[in-house]
Amino acid sequence: MAKALIFVEQRENKLKNNSFELIAAASAAGCEVHAALMGESVESLAVELGNYGAQTVHIVEKPELKFYTAEAYGQALEAIAKKVEPRFILASHSPMGRDLLPWVAVKLDAGIASDCTELEFNGDEVKAIRPMYAGKAKVEVEFSGDGPRCLTIRPNALPAPKPDSSKTAQTEKVDVEFSNLKTKCTGVEKGSTTRPDVTEAAIVVSGGRSLKNAENFSILEKLADVMGAAVGASRAAVDAGYRPHRDQVGQTGKVVSPSLYIACGISGAIQHLAGMRTSKVIVAINTDPEAPIFQVADYGLVGDLFEVVPALTEEIQGLKG
Amino acid sequence: MNWQPLVFIPIFLGTVGYSLFQFSKLFRLMKACDGTARPMHQIGMRIKETLINVLGQKAVLREKKAGLMHTAIFWGFIIITVGTLEQFISTVAPGFTFEFIGDGAYAALIFLQDLFTFLVLAAVLYAFYVRLIKKPERLGKSKDALNILYFTGALMISIFLMNAFHILADLPWYGDTMVFSKLIASTVGFDALNSQASHHWYLGFKWLHMLLVLGFAVYIPHSKHLHVVAAAPNTFFKTLSTEKPMQPIDFEDESLEQYGAAKVTDLSWKDTLDLYACTECGRCQDLCPAWNTQKPLSPKLIISDLKKNLLKNQKAILGGKKEEVGSLIDENVTEDVIWACTSCRACETACPVFIEQTDKIYESRRHLVMMEAKFPNELQTVFKNMETNATPWAFPAEDRANWAQGLEIPTINENPNAEVLLWVGCAGSYDDRNKKVVQAFARLLKKAQVSFAILGKEEKCTGDPARRIGNEYLFQMLAKENVETLNRHQVKTIITSCPHCFNTLKNEYPDFGGKFRVFHHSQYLARLVNTGKLKPNKSLEETVTYHDSCYLGRWNNVYEQPREILKSIPSTRFIEMKQNKEKGMCCGAGGGRMWMEETIGKKVNIARTEQALDTNAGVVAAACPFCMTMLTDGMKSKDMSEKVQVKDISEVLDEATTD
Repeated sequence: MAKALIFVEQRENKLKNNSFELIAAASAAGCEVHAALMGESVESLAVELGNYGAQTVHIVEKPELKFYTAEAYGQALEAIAKKVEPRFILASHSPMGRDLLPWVAVKLDAGIASDCTELEFNGDEVKAIRPMYAGKAKVEVEFSGDGPRCLTIRPNALPAPKPDSSKTAQTEKVDVEFSNLKTKCTGVEKGSTTRPDVTEAAIVVSGGRSLKNAENFSILEKLADVMGAAVGASRAAVDAGYRPHRDQVGQTGKVVSPSLYIACGISGAIQHLAGMRTSKVIVAINTDPEAPIFQVADYGLVGDLFEVVPALTEEIQGLKG
Repeated sequence: MNWQPLVFIPIFLGTVGYSLFQFSKLFRLMKACDGTARPMHQIGMRIKETLINVLGQKAVLREKKAGLMHTAIFWGFIIITVGTLEQFISTVAPGFTFEFIGDGAYAALIFLQDLFTFLVLAAVLYAFYVRLIKKPERLGKSKDALNILYFTGALMISIFLMNAFHILADLPWYGDTMVFSKLIASTVGFDALNSQASHHWYLGFKWLHMLLVLGFAVYIPHSKHLHVVAAAPNTFFKTLSTEKPMQPIDFEDESLEQYGAAKVTDLSWKDTLDLYACTECGRCQDLCPAWNTQKPLSPKLIISDLKKNLLKNQKAILGGKKEEVGSLIDENVTEDVIWACTSCRACETACPVFIEQTDKIYESRRHLVMMEAKFPNELQTVFKNMETNATPWAFPAEDRANWAQGLEIPTINENPNAEVLLWVGCAGSYDDRNKKVVQAFARLLKKAQVSFAILGKEEKCTGDPARRIGNEYLFQMLAKENVETLNRHQVKTIITSCPHCFNTLKNEYPDFGGKFRVFHHSQYLARLVNTGKLKPNKSLEETVTYHDSCYLGRWNNVYEQPREILKSIPSTRFIEMKQNKEKGMCCGAGGGRMWMEETIGKKVNIARTEQALDTNAGVVAAACPFCMTMLTDGMKSKDMSEKVQVKDISEVLDEATTD
């Protein structure tokens, strides 16, 4: 049985969903699944990893690992990899994963395939699919040689797994002596804690000209706040002065692709579609059933946003308690 | 001893010599420009155009009042100059006259001189009235212009007084034909003087007139009045055809170190001649959609500002130190000026001396984009999309033919013998509103039983936006790929509903080996209606107005066919917008502006929408996908989308034509 080592991402002792996808995928392929968990004090997170299918969780706990740096995390992952001797090393193609894994691959003299969207395991081998030229073509990658196969996988590309609380993992502590760390992260200063920027938010709530004035955008802001979403706007709404230009989503504004895009009272002119078409799930709320936004929407709601949005806000608030 | 030649000859040689020296400097500045002018063929045609427009004043007379004023002054100067010549020669060789041409002819000549002196004076007074009292915005405040009017007025008055005294003192028979001078001689009371005194007055005014003429010669090279010398050659060297492709850059030429114009000297000699030919009449500015919506661009000012830039740098240019020549972009011609242009070409079409403003603006954009990578932020996405997906919008090439799903429209592979190729364009392929236009056009083709096909996924953006924005490299990449595809399928005839694709395919692809017969859908549909293949039979019962697309009208001279189509529909009342055809206002999307934010002044599309609303028409017909977008957005902004429909001519025709 081939061994797979999954680099587990955590920030502030919270695990990222992306890591579960990787564990589940390796587990489903019949690998012996090892997880590499590192941080200052993270042992308690191992249980959850077990629920998703990790068999062994290797834990490194060090004050130097409180914040991510490629050097310290790299040395820790390298140490775990040398101990486990895995056939596959998987990480998310997230900012952290794409920074870390090439570093480790060099240390292990291993090949790496980055930004993969599909994996096909076959015993000791894996075939990875990577999109190229902005998605115009896909390339199939296979590895040669004997070393471990390093892969970074695009977040949300693999099926979302379900946890099974009957599954558990054994934990093993690994001690790492850091040598010669040249960088040290002393703290993290976060950007403003108000609503996130449209290009960074996982959820975007956008409004169009049919909001009629700037004040009415507060309806969308309320919804955005209960969902932790950013507020965007169509060009028409920005032109009419309802929102500042930095909120404009579209061909000549920001191009966004959040996991959820809620378009309220936006007809969906090509100028707007060009800026949000690649969102993972699109919800459209519009009074006109003929509006082109419904062509790209996964969920469409023909109705008046002034009724629908407040109701939705209330409902979500209720769910959150 | 006669003192006159002794005084006259040195003054004449001094002034005319100075003037010639200045002209030679201007000529050398022109020759020092490195850019490539368009090739000059068809000499016969050029001579004809020059005669019609210079002697015939055709382009000037497109505006009645200003045209008549100018024609009077122009012909006045030609005829009066014959008299001036006579005075010059007679000063050196006393007693010389042109009487040898025959009594009758001479009498006619002096009659005309007298008449035109009056007409020019009247024209000058009218010009004073316009400049000082009416003060139209387009003329601006110009000291230079007033100086010229003072000069011209003084010249005419000196002629009248000279001739009046000449009649009294020496040649009473002049009075038989010189009606106006005679009138002055007899009414003002000069006839009280004795003949010797009159002769002295005559001599005095003759000298005054001659000195004014020579003074004018000194003044002209430094003034906008330089146009009296430059306008005629500029007319001769103008671009003859309305269909004007942009000049391709040869990227294979490795000796090229500069793309586009960084400095005035990177423009061509013809561009410089344009600068000399401008007399700042402002007809261009009056029609400029950018200027009329408070943008910093004025087609008049950009020409005079470039001239200022050229003269500011003359020392470096003439000294052979081109590296010291300042940038074309300066405090007057800013980047905002360059990016404000919609390439609607209303300025060039209005110009009475055929100045080509767009050439300069687009050469400057080439420099900004390809040499300095300085362009409005939002264009980055446009370039990237065109490079990766072959469309300015962020949509996959894969989806290009989705609009045709379920409509049984064959691709060229399925119907290789199709009579015509339907070129869809990016808007028709991806924009929901414009998909409906192409679908209507396709339905009409089926109704008329035209055998057609599409390229499907093989079609790519023609590259037009990239070219207008200044990214010639990207344009050529797409152009070459498209030409290759079209030639591989042995396409002969192309029809398209997009005027931008139409213009590029028809006028610009021949430079890249693509020679096709290209029709805009308005031309093709008008023919189908005129030959009875399409019979609009359902009445519309609506007032319809038509918005001219710049790339259809001013760039390709297609004004009538869209109107013919609309008028062919039963019970339609057709009404023109106030600004139509050559003077039609741009929707604001040309010149790559479709993909730029408009942050300065009023929005062009709103201004044009308001003009359309002024007609009270229920349907505003367009013939261009960009115009469609701009006017539809305009109607939304004015909250009029419920009351006024913006439709493509093919949609109007399709609805009126049952199978």
